[in-house]
Amino acid sequence: MGAQERSHAFLPHTADAGLVAHAATLAELFEEGALALAELAADTAGAAGAPVVVGPLAADDLAGLAFAWLNELIGIAESEGRALVRAQVERVEGTADGWTIAGSAFLAPYDAPSVRARRQVKAVSFHRLGVEEGPDGYALTAYVDV
Amino acid sequence: MRVDGFVFADDRLMARLRDDPALVQVANVATLPGIVGASLAMPDVHWGYGFPVGGVAATLADGGAISPGGIGFDINCGVRLLRTSLLRGDLEPVAARLADELFRAVPSGVGAHGGQRLAQRDLDGVLAEGAAWAVRHGLGNAEDLELTEERGTLAGADPVAVSDRARQRGGDQLGTLGSGNHFLEVQAVDRILDGDGARALGLALEQLVVLIHCGSRGLGHQVCTDHLAVMDRAAGRYGIVLPDRQLACVPLGTPEANAYLAAMAAAANFAWANRQAITHAVRGAFGRVFGAGVATAMGLVYDVSHNIAKLERHQVAGRELEVCVHRKGATRAFPAGHQDVPLRYRAVGQPVLIPGDMARYSFVAVGAPGAMELSFGSTCHGAGRDLSRHAAIRELRGVDIAAQLAHEGIVVRAQRPDLLAEEAALAYKDVASVVEVAAGAGLIRPVARLRPLIVIKG
Repeated sequence: MGAQERSHAFLPHTADAGLVAHAATLAELFEEGALALAELAADTAGAAGAPVVVGPLAADDLAGLAFAWLNELIGIAESEGRALVRAQVERVEGTADGWTIAGSAFLAPYDAPSVRARRQVKAVSFHRLGVEEGPDGYALTAYVDV
Repeated sequence: MRVDGFVFADDRLMARLRDDPALVQVANVATLPGIVGASLAMPDVHWGYGFPVGGVAATLADGGAISPGGIGFDINCGVRLLRTSLLRGDLEPVAARLADELFRAVPSGVGAHGGQRLAQRDLDGVLAEGAAWAVRHGLGNAEDLELTEERGTLAGADPVAVSDRARQRGGDQLGTLGSGNHFLEVQAVDRILDGDGARALGLALEQLVVLIHCGSRGLGHQVCTDHLAVMDRAAGRYGIVLPDRQLACVPLGTPEANAYLAAMAAAANFAWANRQAITHAVRGAFGRVFGAGVATAMGLVYDVSHNIAKLERHQVAGRELEVCVHRKGATRAFPAGHQDVPLRYRAVGQPVLIPGDMARYSFVAVGAPGAMELSFGSTCHGAGRDLSRHAAIRELRGVDIAAQLAHEGIVVRAQRPDLLAEEAALAYKDVASVVEVAAGAGLIRPVARLRPLIVIKG
C-alpha cells in the first residue's frame, strides 16, 4: 500500500455541508481540509491569493485542532473580506498539552476575475468532527454551517 | 437520556424522519445536564449539528446546562414582518423596479460588507442596545421596538465579552442580509385564516407585506465558535460527558456560562439592530418607488427570533420553574394574555412568523395555550429542509429557477442565480403541512397565508 494521495470530497447534509479530506501527513491533511473549505465558499480556480499568517493555534486533541484551524481560516477570510484560496501548514506537532499548528491562509479579493463567491461559510462545527489515522495516512471529517 | 424525546409530527412527517439523524440528535439533547420536561422536536425538525434544527430544550436555571450549539452559530437568526398600505395590484406595474431598489438598498451575498461601517464605540452601542441603538440613530421608530421580541434589546449583553475577531467579522455588516437561506421577500396576503387575528395584526386580504429573514452575520458566528471552543475544554472539568461534542456545555452560573450569555446577548442585539437597519433600507426603497407616505406607513407587525436561549418561567410537572429555554430553529409562541406579548397583541397572542419557500407561501400565526403546556412556549420556525443543497442542485440541474419563478409571477434578484436551486421549493417541505401539525397540537393559531411576489437572495 502506498502513501495516501491528497484528496477531498463533500458529504451530504440536509441543511449544511460535510467534507472529508485525505492525505499522507497531518500537514497535508490540514491543507487539504482548507482546500475543501475554500471550495465550498468560492470558486477560486486560477487565483493565487496573498498570504496571511495563521496561528499558532493549540488544542487538546487533533479534532479540536481541526476545529481551531478551519474556523480560524473562516474568521480571517471574512475579517479581511476576501475569499480563501488555500492554506499552507508550516508546522503541526504534538506538545506536552496536546497539539499545535501554524501556517498561512492565501486570500484573494472577491472582485478578482478568477474568484466567484459561492456561499457563506459560517463555521465548522464539532458535529462528527474527526481526524483519523489509517494505514496509508489521515482522514479529516467535518460538518460546516453554510 | 435524562428525559424523553418528543417529536411533533403527523404520520407523513414522521415517515420522512424515520431514517434521519435528527432523531438521534433529539435523543442526544435529552442527555444535557439539568434538562427538564422533554427534548422537543418541532414539526419542521431536520438534521442539524449537535441539536437538530427545530430543537427545543429547557434546562434548569439553577445548575442546568447552557449549550451554545443549542442556539446555533447564527445567534438570533430571526424573521420580521412589515405591513404596507399597498395592495397586490399596486405592485404589478413597478415590481421589477422595486426589486432593483431593494436589491441595491440591502447588501446581500457572500463577502457583503456593504453595511454601515461602525466605529468601535458605535459597535459597542449596537451590542449593548440592539434595535434601540438603531432607532436612536434614525433607523426606525419607537413602535418598531414595541413590536420586536424583547423590544429588540436582550438584557445582560456585555460588549466586552465579544472577541476582536467577532468584531472584525461583523464590524461592517450592519444592514446586510447575508446568503444561504436568508432572504427579503415582498409578499401578498392571499388567505385569511383567522379574521380576528388578522385584524389585530393589521393584515387584510391582498395587502402587500415584507418578510425579512437574517441574523447576526459573522459577528454572531464567531461568538458561537469562540464559546464552543471554551465549553468543549471546560465540560470535562464539570464532569459532563456528551454524545456529540457540538453539544458542549457548562452549568449555568459558572464563569464560562456567564461569559457566553453576555456575548450571546450582545450578538442577539447585533441581529436585532441588523434587521432594524434593513427595515430602514426597505422603507427607503418603497419610498423611492411609491412615495414617502407609503414608506412612513410601513409598520412592523412583529420581529421574532428562532435561534436563541432565554431564561423564562414555565410549569414543569406541576411546579413553576425558571428554566433556560434553548430554541434552535424554533420560534417563541406565547399565547394570549402572556405578559411578554406586546399590549397591542395581548388579546390574540404573540405573532409567529413561519417562512415557507420562495415559490409557495409563508404563514403568520399567533401563539396558542398549548405551547405553554407542551413546548415551553415554542413552535416551528419554517418549512424545514427536505433535500440537501447538493441533492437540490442535482435534481434541478439545467432548470432556470428564476425563469420558473418569473412564470409564476415572482420577481427574483439574486447574487448567484445559478445557486438558486439550493433554496428552491423542492428542497423544502410544504410549510402548510408543518403549520397544520403545529396548529393541530395547539401550539399556534394560523392567521394568514402569504404568497411571495419579489424574492431577494444573497
